[in-house]
Amino acid sequence: MPGSFLMPLVVTVKEIVTETPDTKTLRVVGEKGLPFEFQPGQCAMISLPPVGEAIFSITSSPTDREFMEFSIKEAGTVTRALHRITPGQQLGLRGPYGNSFPVESLRGKDLLFIGGGIGLAPLRSLINYCLEKRAEYGQIDIIYGARSPGDLIRKEEINRIWPSVPDTRVHLTVDAKFEGWEGHVGFVPSYLTELAFPPENRMAITCGPPVMIKFVLQALEELKFSPEQVITTLEMRMKCGVGKCGRCNIGSLYVCKDGPVFTRAQLDALPDEY
Amino acid sequence: MTKYITSERLPELWARLADRGPLYLPVNEGTAVAFRAWEEGKEVNLEAVNSTVSPKEIFLPAWETYLKFERAGKKLALAPADANGLARPVTAFGLRPCDLRAIELLDLVFVEQDPPDELYTRRRKNTTIVALACSQPDPFCFCTAFGIEPTDAPGADVLAWKTGNRLFMEARTPRGEDWLEENSRLLQEAEGVEKPPPVESADFGLALEGLPENLKGRFEDPIWDQIYRSCLGCGICTYICPTCYCFDIQDYGHQEQGERFRCWDSCQFSHYTLTAGGNNPRPTRKERVRNRFLHKLQFYPERYEEFGCVGCGRCLRSCPVGIDMVSVIRALGGETVAR
Repeated sequence: MPGSFLMPLVVTVKEIVTETPDTKTLRVVGEKGLPFEFQPGQCAMISLPPVGEAIFSITSSPTDREFMEFSIKEAGTVTRALHRITPGQQLGLRGPYGNSFPVESLRGKDLLFIGGGIGLAPLRSLINYCLEKRAEYGQIDIIYGARSPGDLIRKEEINRIWPSVPDTRVHLTVDAKFEGWEGHVGFVPSYLTELAFPPENRMAITCGPPVMIKFVLQALEELKFSPEQVITTLEMRMKCGVGKCGRCNIGSLYVCKDGPVFTRAQLDALPDEY
Repeated sequence: MTKYITSERLPELWARLADRGPLYLPVNEGTAVAFRAWEEGKEVNLEAVNSTVSPKEIFLPAWETYLKFERAGKKLALAPADANGLARPVTAFGLRPCDLRAIELLDLVFVEQDPPDELYTRRRKNTTIVALACSQPDPFCFCTAFGIEPTDAPGADVLAWKTGNRLFMEARTPRGEDWLEENSRLLQEAEGVEKPPPVESADFGLALEGLPENLKGRFEDPIWDQIYRSCLGCGICTYICPTCYCFDIQDYGHQEQGERFRCWDSCQFSHYTLTAGGNNPRPTRKERVRNRFLHKLQFYPERYEEFGCVGCGRCLRSCPVGIDMVSVIRALGGETVAR
């Protein structure tokens, strides 16, 4: 079929969770439940014609066989349209795109997740994957922050589900003091420095706004994490998802195809343009 | 197999070829020359060394619908659009050696890099390419700097060249043999061994060996502050360039029905890399100009082991402020003799 590599599947929205004033999580199903196989960290193109297509990280874990989920922050025209739909709406979906988190080489290690805002979305896929295979991974610590308590997504998971799993801790923080908030106050990178996890046998995986990622990378360096122990996942404007339309390159690599997951060591070898 | 046709019989050849399937060849369009599907009345121009717009659009059209959608309530239906030019055999006639080489560079992205782009690949497989050897380089040509022979086109099915009133055509592939055979009624056998007449080399004294390696540590080189400064951000360089291939994907239509198309885009435009969240990794013309030239001179060699330029000279002719491949390579030090 001509153009089938750009041809989406039709999926149906089964459930919509309003996470925060600007973020919703869409649960979609294909004909046989999970629309297609993928690995934690991979992305997919969602479209709602005639508004267009945009790329999102898959936030559910591949161990969920019945559906796929996307946490979507309202930011542009496609996300605005996706915030206006109701359950039952059909969407276009194509993927999976990009590489994935190295679930094999993370095995047996302590894991430190560092997320900011909507940056929890790609991490959540890996977190739930690891929790599903709990015995295969060591201590899991999740540092997660947002501007305000109301901007934290996946409240049920971060407050109740994840902390109740053995050897799993969630460290929440918000940028400023808020009435009723008794947790930590401060930016994610400084909370990371404060918590000072030792780097021995530990891998750090981070995603958040570009400025947060930059400071988190610095903080991890100060905590003596080696560049190979630090993994991040990047966001870029994308159109094709297969390394052809051109726009998501950093140097000679395409984030959609060679990324979005990179180690700090890989990033250090690339031009500082992301 | 080498045959020839005399100039006055060419219109008969065009008509015959166009009867078989779309025939793309350089035609005059106002003051421009572009590759268009031939029809009666088109003014064919085999003299212009380089068409104004490159023939890449035969394989990667400037605008191409690939999907139709229909919506009814919450239901969505998607179907592939009938792709133009995929059903019948196509002839691309008169591509210059540099432009054909550029198509081979696009093949690395669209055919060889997984997954293959089916629209491009089908067109490529469906098309017989008759290259036209250059009889005299244009003042802006520098193809020999990139190792291209202006009188040879290794990737062509048929190589054509003009000698006086005769247009010779030599088959280079089995498909080229078949193509000549199919049209033999209009062609005459060449007597003796005919070869394209030699032409002078055109290279502007550029020395490209080692340039990709040399550029590796120079992303932050202050030279970029000078190179980009006069750029207007008009994007003509990317529009006319035979090796630029970036595209956008957009929907067109209304709530109930419409289509999805892809169209050429340009890395010189600010929206090209702007994310919905407001982040732009290439926020100014400096980053955009740097990306375009490093893509051709460093990133393409790193990824595909080939330069992403063929020395066609279109950017020298068209850039309104003289930010072209030759001036940039010189500014970066890629020159044999200092001027």
